[in-house]
Amino acid sequence: MTDSTTDSAFRPNTAIAGLGMTELGKVYGRTARQFAVEAVQRAAADAGIGVGDIDGLLVSTGISPGYGIDLQGDLGLTDLGLLSSVQGYGSTATQMVQYASMAIASGMVDTVACVWADDPLKEKTATSAAYRAAGSLPTGWRALTGTANILTPNTLYALAARRHMLAYGTTQDQFGAIAVAQREWATMNPLAQFRTPLTLEEYHASRWIAEPFHLFDCCLVSNGGIAVIVTSAERAADLAQPVVQVLGWGQSHPGRSGRRNDDFGLVTGAAQSGPRALQMARTTLDEIDVVELYDCYTYTALVSLEDYGFCAKGEGGDFVSTPGMLGPNGKLKVNTGGGQLSSYYMWGMTPLSEAIIQARGQAGERQVDAHHRVLVSGNGGILDHHGTLVLGTD
Amino acid sequence: MPLFPVHRDPATAAFFDGTARGEFLLARDTTTGAWLAPQTDVDSRDELERVPAAGTGSVVSWAVVPGRGERTEPTVVAIVQLDEGPWWWTELVDVDPHGDLADLRVQAQFMPSGPGEHDEQVPVFAPVG
Repeated sequence: MTDSTTDSAFRPNTAIAGLGMTELGKVYGRTARQFAVEAVQRAAADAGIGVGDIDGLLVSTGISPGYGIDLQGDLGLTDLGLLSSVQGYGSTATQMVQYASMAIASGMVDTVACVWADDPLKEKTATSAAYRAAGSLPTGWRALTGTANILTPNTLYALAARRHMLAYGTTQDQFGAIAVAQREWATMNPLAQFRTPLTLEEYHASRWIAEPFHLFDCCLVSNGGIAVIVTSAERAADLAQPVVQVLGWGQSHPGRSGRRNDDFGLVTGAAQSGPRALQMARTTLDEIDVVELYDCYTYTALVSLEDYGFCAKGEGGDFVSTPGMLGPNGKLKVNTGGGQLSSYYMWGMTPLSEAIIQARGQAGERQVDAHHRVLVSGNGGILDHHGTLVLGTD
Repeated sequence: MPLFPVHRDPATAAFFDGTARGEFLLARDTTTGAWLAPQTDVDSRDELERVPAAGTGSVVSWAVVPGRGERTEPTVVAIVQLDEGPWWWTELVDVDPHGDLADLRVQAQFMPSGPGEHDEQVPVFAPVG
């Protein structure tokens, strides 16, 4: 036994007591700020508390400038003991739960709302234009990359995925297996934007976004907001919902420059944040019942499965394409709401929200039988930022 | 073909002085001989200098961006490992977008990024020979 697994080691002793989700997807005529306010109000109501009971607020947005810590005023919150903006891109949601838990454990505050919202989609504008329109042309060194047409996450992740394919023999059929399996989950998720089944043939026939990525390798774009309420496990037990404990967490920010040969595309920070989270939670991978991964691309889900250790490095392709492994009838319950590929793209709030729903046993038709331990993974930047949570229902 | 005109700033000025001469400048540590990426702030340490690279390298990874808008042809983009070691994220020209480009030997060419007087020459990479 190492020191970190002895009884003297830190235990979070916090829980997620509330989940608030606005209408998600092609929802027009509302701003990110409005989504954020509604999400917090819904999360408080879900927990069975008043908005005024919140004494800590962590905010984050997507590509919309949207709002900042001035959201406090929109929510009418006074005398907060914690207020900050958090930005770790796709790892933000897991980070916010971590910082909220630390603040509660230290006695700073009792009840923290963590909120994320965005409004990239505009009516009568193509979905694909939403993220393109967000950025102006780069300058300095980045202009050299940009003028080479390496401008979007699609292209950067495509380069990462191709490197994985070259190194390990990963194939597009294997990426497609993830898209097909997650769509099968999404058919049972009333919140999902894509609910019609997808075949491997349809996956291959979908247009190129940045080869080797087809359209169905890539996440959706969505408007909306999601918030969670974090409080002490003790207090959560007195509130309205089944307690979803925060058992452990980890982060990893590898800091690879991309300026010389490194593990770009081959290994992600999940290889570090995962073991850290499991260790804090005093659990092991074989005790994890449900896995909610950040899946901005099929490839991201695949490489994350490798890095968490669900299969050996380089064997992710064979693993995900093994009959009976993924999907609702599969051995490993991964991205049970359809993930960002098929349900909704709320950055790190997508895997976190589905994790909470499953852990509580509130997933309806898609509810998995065993849901005592749920692993949540966030991935931000171009594989630059990782956050992991282990949630539980003991 | 460069997608948009690129202009120098203080950090990139020396690199573009090089591309104007047809040189791909890397940084080198004179004490160790180590080659460093072009983005290295050479002015920050006395032992660093700018040295032209051979301009040759190999394709580490590539992706194909479909044509869009005025650009109807697909762009082949790549990570090239220069023979000196550093990586460079770039466009490949004169290659088959449907081909297997793994480990392809490539060489830098320099193209104007725009028609303007201040539009810098930028490197693209083409197959050797």
